[in-house]
Amino acid sequence: MRAALRRYGWSYLFVLPTFSLFVVFTLLPVVQAFGLSLQNARIVGGEWIGLQNFVTLAEDPVFRQALGNTVLYSLVVVAAQLTLALVVASLIQPLGRKSQTFYRALFYLPLVNSAILVAMVWRWIFNANPYGLANTVLGAVGFDPLLWIGSSDQALAAVILSAVLTIPGGGVVLYSAAMGSLPRELYEAAEVEGAGALTKWWYITIPLLKPTTLYLLVIYTILAFQVFERVYVMTNGGGPNNATITIVQLVYSTAFQFGRYGLASAMAVVLFIMAVAVAVVQFRSLRSDVEY
Amino acid sequence: MDRTEGTTINRRRFLQALGAVGVAVACGPAGPTGASPAPSAGASATTAAAKPVSLEWWRRNYTAGTQNAETLTSDGAVRAFREKNPNVTISIQGGPFGAETDQKFDLAILQQKAGPDVFHTTGGDVIKYAAAGQLSEPPLTAAEKADFNTSALTATTYKGKVVAYPLWIVPWFEYINLDLFKERGVTPPADGNWTYDQFLDAAKKLTFKRADGKQIYGFAHANDEWAFMLIDGGRLYDADVKKWTFNSAEAISGLEKWVNIAKEKVMPPDFLTLNPNDSQAKFIAGEIAILQRPSAMINVLNADAKWKYGTNWEIANFPKGATAQTAWGGLGFIAVREQADADKKTAAHAFAKYLTGPDIGPDLKKMTPPVEYWLAPAARTSAAGIYGEYHAAKAKVAKMGSFTYVLPNVSTWTEIQKYLGPARDAALEGKKTAKQALDEVAPNAQRLLDEANK
Repeated sequence: MRAALRRYGWSYLFVLPTFSLFVVFTLLPVVQAFGLSLQNARIVGGEWIGLQNFVTLAEDPVFRQALGNTVLYSLVVVAAQLTLALVVASLIQPLGRKSQTFYRALFYLPLVNSAILVAMVWRWIFNANPYGLANTVLGAVGFDPLLWIGSSDQALAAVILSAVLTIPGGGVVLYSAAMGSLPRELYEAAEVEGAGALTKWWYITIPLLKPTTLYLLVIYTILAFQVFERVYVMTNGGGPNNATITIVQLVYSTAFQFGRYGLASAMAVVLFIMAVAVAVVQFRSLRSDVEY
Repeated sequence: MDRTEGTTINRRRFLQALGAVGVAVACGPAGPTGASPAPSAGASATTAAAKPVSLEWWRRNYTAGTQNAETLTSDGAVRAFREKNPNVTISIQGGPFGAETDQKFDLAILQQKAGPDVFHTTGGDVIKYAAAGQLSEPPLTAAEKADFNTSALTATTYKGKVVAYPLWIVPWFEYINLDLFKERGVTPPADGNWTYDQFLDAAKKLTFKRADGKQIYGFAHANDEWAFMLIDGGRLYDADVKKWTFNSAEAISGLEKWVNIAKEKVMPPDFLTLNPNDSQAKFIAGEIAILQRPSAMINVLNADAKWKYGTNWEIANFPKGATAQTAWGGLGFIAVREQADADKKTAAHAFAKYLTGPDIGPDLKKMTPPVEYWLAPAARTSAAGIYGEYHAAKAKVAKMGSFTYVLPNVSTWTEIQKYLGPARDAALEGKKTAKQALDEVAPNAQRLLDEANK
C-alpha cells in the first residue's frame, strides 16, 4: 500500500483541481441540500423539523401533480429519444464516411442553441391561436385548430411532443460512433446464414449497443427528470391548471419565489432518490458483459 | 537600488491607478448617478444631515442609460433631491422584475443585513422585512399620517407600527380600442362606466373575424388577474386579514361571471397562458378590443405615435357587478433599511419622504425635459393631484382610488396563488364549478394566511 502510494501518489495531484471543484460545487451543495431538507429553512436560517418537509410534500396536491408530470414526461421522452437516436444513427451508418460526418454534425448542431430560444420557438409552434405553426399545418390539412399549450388537457402533450420532435443529437453521435466499432465478422457470419438487414440490426446491432444504450438511458432519464426551461418558457412555468408543472419547476418557485429553501431541498432530495433508484434499476437490467 | 525603488513605486502607483479605474468601471452603472449635477452653491440642506452621506437606492427595473420609466424617474428624483441636499450622494442599483431580483433583495436585507439604504418594494415583502426587524420606522407626524390613503397606510402597518412609506396605488382597469368599437358600431361606455352585462355584450359584438381572416377578440387579460372575483363583493380576506374569504358566495359569483366570459369565447384561446407582455402586445397589434391592465400601460400607449388618446384608445372602469363600483389595486412602497449609521438613516428617511411626498412631482415636472415622476396615483393626498395633470387618461385613473380595493399585504400571497391560480384555471376551463374550485383552495390559503399572521 505504502509502496503504491509512493509510486503513484503524485498522480493524485493531477486529479486534485477537478476533484476540489467537484467537492465545492457539487458534493457539498448536495450534502447541504440533504441537511436543508430536514429543516424549516428560510433565507434567514431554519429549525430542525425532521421529516416534516417530506410529510408536507406527500400531502401537497401540487407536488403530487408535479411528480406525476415529471414521471410521465420522462417515460415518454426518454423512450422516444432513445428510439429516435438509434434509428437515425442506423440510417446514417451505411453512408460514406463524409456523409456520416455531415449528418452527425447536422444532428448535433442544434444542441449548441440556447435551450431558452428553442423553447420559445416551440411556444410559437404550439400557440393556441390559429397562427401557431402547428395549427397552421392542421388547418392546411383540413383539421380544426387545437389549444395545445393553452389547454390543461393538451399542454403536457405539447411539451412532450416538443421534446420528442427535437432529435437528440448527442445520442445520434454516440450510437453512430458505437456502431462504427462493432465487429464486422458477426455481420458477415449472419449474411452467410442469410440474415436480412433488419434481422442483423435487431439481433446483432441492438444487443451489441447495450453499453451505449445503458449510458444514454441513464443520462437521458436524469435530464428528463430535470426538465425546467422547456416548461418555464413554453407554459409560463406550469401551464393552465398546473398541467405542465414539474418537480424542478416547483423547486424553483418554492425556493426563489416562496423562500422555502427547506421544502425546496426536500423536493430536490426526492428527485435525487428517484434518479438514483431508476439508475440502479437501469444498471441492473441492462448491465452487460458484452465485449467486442 | 534607487532605480529599483523607483520602479517599485511606479508599479505600485500604476497598480493603484489601475485599481481605481477598475473600481470606477465596476461601480459605473450603479455608482452615483451620472445624471446628478454638481450641487449648486446656493443649494440648502434642508432635510438631510449636512455631513456628507452616501446612500444606496435599490429600484427594480432601473437600467442606467435606458429610457424606461423607472430609470428616467429615478434619475430625475436623485437629481432633484441632490439639488436640495447636496451633501447626499445617491447611487441606484437596478434589477429586472422577477424572482431573481427578489432573491437579491432577500439575501442582502434578510441574510447579510446589508445592501440598500432605501428601496422600492411591494406587497408582502414589506411585512416580511418588518417581521425580520430590518425596516426603520418612518418618522411620520400625525398630520403626515393623515395625509396618506388609509388603506395604503394600513397595508404598511406591522404590529401597530408604520414600517414603510406608501408610494402609490396601482389600479387595474380596462383599455379600450376605439377603432374596433367604431368598426363594430359599439358605443364605448359613457364616462367609462358599464355594468357586467353591458361589458359582456360589447365583448361579444367585438369578437369577430375580418374578411382578410384576421380574428379579433372582444376582451383579454393577463394570467395574473383576479379582479373579476371582486365585482360581486368578493374579497380575499376579512377586515382583519385573519380569515380567507375568497370562497364566499360573493367571490364564487364573481368567478362565475368570469367563467361566463370564457364560455362566450370572447377571449383569445391562449388566455390562460397569456402573460402580461403578450396581452399588451396583442392589444397594441389591434387584436384585442378591451384589455385589462394596470395604469403603467398608459405610458406605453402614449409613447406610440399611432395610438392617440381619445381617437384610438380610451380607458374605462372595471365592469360593475352586483355591488358598488370596484377595482383591483396594488401598492408600491419606499422602505428604509434599519442600520446603525444614524446619519445614513436620517438621510435615507429624508430621501424616502421626498420620494413619496408632494414636492417631487412638481420638481421633476420643472426639469428639462420634464419628467412625469408618478407612474400611478400617489398614496398621499397632498401628492396625488399632479398625476391627473400629466394626461387626460391619468386624470380619470386618479379618480379610481376611491373605489379601488387595495390588496392587503400578506407575506405568503405569492404562495397562495400556487393554489388559487390552478383553481381559477380549472373553473375557467369548465373542469370544476366556481364553488368547487374555490372551496378546494380555502384550506391551503387559510393555512398560509395563518402562517403570515404568526
